[in-house]
Amino acid sequence: MDTLVNELKQKLIDILNLTGIQPEDMDPDAQLVGGTLGIDSIDVLEMVVMVEKDYGVIINSQEMGEKVFASLNSLAAYIREHSSQQRS
Amino acid sequence: MRQPTVYIAAVGIVSGLGSGPVATVHALGSEFIGIGPLSAFSLLHGDLLPVGQVTDVPHTGDLPRTHRLALLAADQAMRHCMTPPDAVIVGTTTGGMDRTEELLRQGVSKGACYRYHGLATVAKLLARRYDCRGPLLTISTACSSGATALAMAMAMIRMGMAKTVLAGGVDALCRLTYFGFHSLQLVDRTGAHPLDIDRCGMSVAEGAAMLLLSADPLGHPLAELTGAGLSCDAYHPTAPRPDGTEAASAIRAALNDAGLGPEEIDYINLHGTGTRENDLAEARAIQTVFSDIPPLSSIKGATGHSLAAAGGIEAVVATLAIDHGFLPANSGLRQVDPLLELAPLTSPVSQSVGNVLSNSFGFGGNNAALIISRPRRKASCSQIGTERDHRLLVLGLAALSGAGDLDAIITALQTGKLAAGRVQSARLATGLDPGRIRRLKRLPRMALSMAAAARNNMNPAGSVQAIFMGTGWGAQGETHDFLHRLFETEERFPSPTDFVGSVHNAPAGQVAMLLGATGANITTSGADASFEQALMTAILNLGVEETGIVLGLDEFHPCLSPLFDPSVAGVSIPADGGGACLVRRWHPGAGAGVTVRLPFFANNSEQAMDDLLAALGDRDHLCSSCGLLMVGIPMASGNEGEQQLAAFIDRLGRKPPIFRYRDFLGEFASSSALAAILAMAILRDDISVPFGHHQRPLAAGSSILVLGLGDTITAMEISRV
Repeated sequence: MDTLVNELKQKLIDILNLTGIQPEDMDPDAQLVGGTLGIDSIDVLEMVVMVEKDYGVIINSQEMGEKVFASLNSLAAYIREHSSQQRS
Repeated sequence: MRQPTVYIAAVGIVSGLGSGPVATVHALGSEFIGIGPLSAFSLLHGDLLPVGQVTDVPHTGDLPRTHRLALLAADQAMRHCMTPPDAVIVGTTTGGMDRTEELLRQGVSKGACYRYHGLATVAKLLARRYDCRGPLLTISTACSSGATALAMAMAMIRMGMAKTVLAGGVDALCRLTYFGFHSLQLVDRTGAHPLDIDRCGMSVAEGAAMLLLSADPLGHPLAELTGAGLSCDAYHPTAPRPDGTEAASAIRAALNDAGLGPEEIDYINLHGTGTRENDLAEARAIQTVFSDIPPLSSIKGATGHSLAAAGGIEAVVATLAIDHGFLPANSGLRQVDPLLELAPLTSPVSQSVGNVLSNSFGFGGNNAALIISRPRRKASCSQIGTERDHRLLVLGLAALSGAGDLDAIITALQTGKLAAGRVQSARLATGLDPGRIRRLKRLPRMALSMAAAARNNMNPAGSVQAIFMGTGWGAQGETHDFLHRLFETEERFPSPTDFVGSVHNAPAGQVAMLLGATGANITTSGADASFEQALMTAILNLGVEETGIVLGLDEFHPCLSPLFDPSVAGVSIPADGGGACLVRRWHPGAGAGVTVRLPFFANNSEQAMDDLLAALGDRDHLCSSCGLLMVGIPMASGNEGEQQLAAFIDRLGRKPPIFRYRDFLGEFASSSALAAILAMAILRDDISVPFGHHQRPLAAGSSILVLGLGDTITAMEISRV
C-alpha cells in the first residue's frame, strides 16, 4: 500500500474534519472533490495550504488544482513529482 | 403608491481615490487607479499584494484605522448639519480589528486596550461626536454591509422612526482580510480587472462613506434614495449562486420599491469585484432583469474592494454621478470577457443621469441593491409612517444555555437553579447533519441548532424567508484560530476555512442554507444590544407575507471573550448561548398569540429614563399590565444600571416583580435574546414562574418588559394578544 496515500488520507480526515470517515473508506482512485466525501472548493483551498505547509509543494492555479485534486492518487503523484524536483 | 421621499442631503467619502466628493469625482474623471502596494502595515516576508489604500489617514487620538476612516467620511457628511442625526447606522466587518490583531500578536492581556475592538464602537463614536441619542445600528453582512445599512436607514425614515439618519459603511485594511482573501485565492496579483477576460480576483481595499439621509430636503439635496432590495442566495458560504437568480430578485425588489421599471435605469454601478465567479453571476443577474442593458461599470478596478465600505462608497459615487452628470469608467479593463455578454463603459462619459442601480453582494450569499435618483421637483405626497406600534407575532421559539435547551432553562428557573454556563458541545450538534457542520465551530453550530429547534417548534408550520441575527462578538473561535495560525506560521499558512467562518454573518448564511431562506439576511452587532438591533432590523424589513427568524447568540471564548467584553472579564461562571424566535408582522386580524415590540432604543443620557417612560405609553396602563420586569444590567455597567433601574422604578411609581436575567443566564452579550425568548415562552405556555410571592402563571393580560440597561437602554415588550 502507498504510504503517502495513507498519510494523506489521515491528514484530510483531520484538517477537513471528515467525521465518521475511516481511512479505509477512502478509495484512492475515487473522485476527491464533489464526490461522496462532500469535499468542496473551500476544502480544496485548505488542502492547498496543507500541501504547501507539509510537503513544500505549491499549487496556485485553479485549473492546475482541479487536475491535482482529481483523486488521492493524483494528489500523491503530484506531491511526489514536485517535492523530488524541489530536492533536486 | 409612491413611497415617502428619502433625501440624500450630504455625503462623505474616502477611498484610494482620495478624500471628499471633489477629489473622488476628479479621480474618476481622470481614470486614476487608487491601487498600489500595501503600506498600511508591514509583512514578515513575501511580495506586497496590491491594495486599495487610503493615504494620509490622520492619527486621531488612539483610535483604530477603521474608526479614523469613518470619522473622515462622517465629518464631511455632517459639515453643514447643525442638528444631531436621529440615528446612526454603520456597516462594517472589521471594526477595530487592525488594532486588535496587533495587540493579540504582542500578547497584550489588558482588556482596556481592546475597547475599540467591537464593530459597534464605530457607530458609538460617531453618535458621541454628533450628539446622537440613538438608536444605533451596526450591520455586518460582509461586502453588502454598507448598502444594507443604507437600506435600513431608508426604512427607518419611511416608517417615521427617524427624520435624519447618518448611515454608510467603513472598513480598514487589516491582516485578517488581507491574508484571508489571499488564502481564498481571490486576490489578483496585478490589481483588480473587473469584467476582464483575464481577471483573476480583486484587490482588498479600505475606505469609508457616510450619507446624511433625511425626510426633509435640508436645503439642496444631492439625490434621493428611492429603492432597496435585499435577498440571500442560501447557496454557499462564499461562492455566489452561478445563475444570479437571487441577486436578480434583490434588483427587482429594489426597482419595485422605487416604483421604477428596468428601462428607467440610466446607469448600473456593478458590484464587479474582479473575481471570476462574482462577475459571471452578476452578469447573469443583470441579463435576467434587463432586456435592454443600460450603461454599466464597476469602479473596483480603481478603488479595489473596500468590503463593508463598498456599498456606501458606490452609493456616494451614484449620487455624484447624478449630481455632476457623469458615468465612471470600468477601470482596469483591458479586454472584456465575452462570456459575460456585457459592454462596460471603457471611459468616463458626461451624461445626464436620472436613476442609478448600485449592486452589492457578499459572503453568505447576501445581496443588496439600491436605487438612487435625481431629486424630484415635488416631494412625494405620501405620508411618512407615524405608526410606532410595530409588533411581531411569535410563531416558534428556541434557546440554548449552559442548562440546555428552552425546556431545560425553564425547569432550571422553576426549581431555583441557575441556567448560566457554556452550552455543551454535544448539544450544539443535536439534530444536525454531521456533514453540514463538520467545518463549523461553536457559534455557527449554535445558530443552526437553534434555527432547527425553532422550526420544529413553529406553529403553524411553514417556511422561513428572512433571517435577522444579532451577535455581540461574532465567531470568536474562527477569528482566534485564524489569527493564531497566521502568527504561528509567520504569516505563511492562514486557514481559508477559518477566514470564511470568521465573518460576523457566516452563521446567518449557514442558517439561510439550512432553512432555504432567500429573503433578507441581516446580521447586526451591537455589543449588549445586539439582539435588540436584530429585532429592529426585522421590524424595519420583514415583508407583510414573510416569516422571519430573529436570533441572538454569543459564544464564550476562553482567550478572547475576557479581553473583548468587559462584563465577561472576571466572571466566575463562563456563560454563552442565545435565543431564537420565528415571527410574522402582527396585524389586528392576525389572531391570538404572543407578540413582541421594541418601544425604546437609545443611548444612555440624562433624559433617557423620562424618554423611556414616555415611549412605553400610558403609565397607569403600564403599571397594571406589567406582570414582570426582566432587567439586564451588564456587569461592566453595574453602578450606572442600578441607578437607571432605581430611576425607572421611581418614575413608574410601582415596583413590579423584578427578575435580573444576567444573574440567572450569565454574563454574555446576547443574554437579552435568551431573556426575551424566556418571556415569550412564559406568556405563550402559561408557565408558572417564581416571581413575587409564590410560583404562579402571570395574571391574564399581563405583559413582560425586558429592559436592557447600561450604556444602551432598550425595552422589549412581550404581551399576549
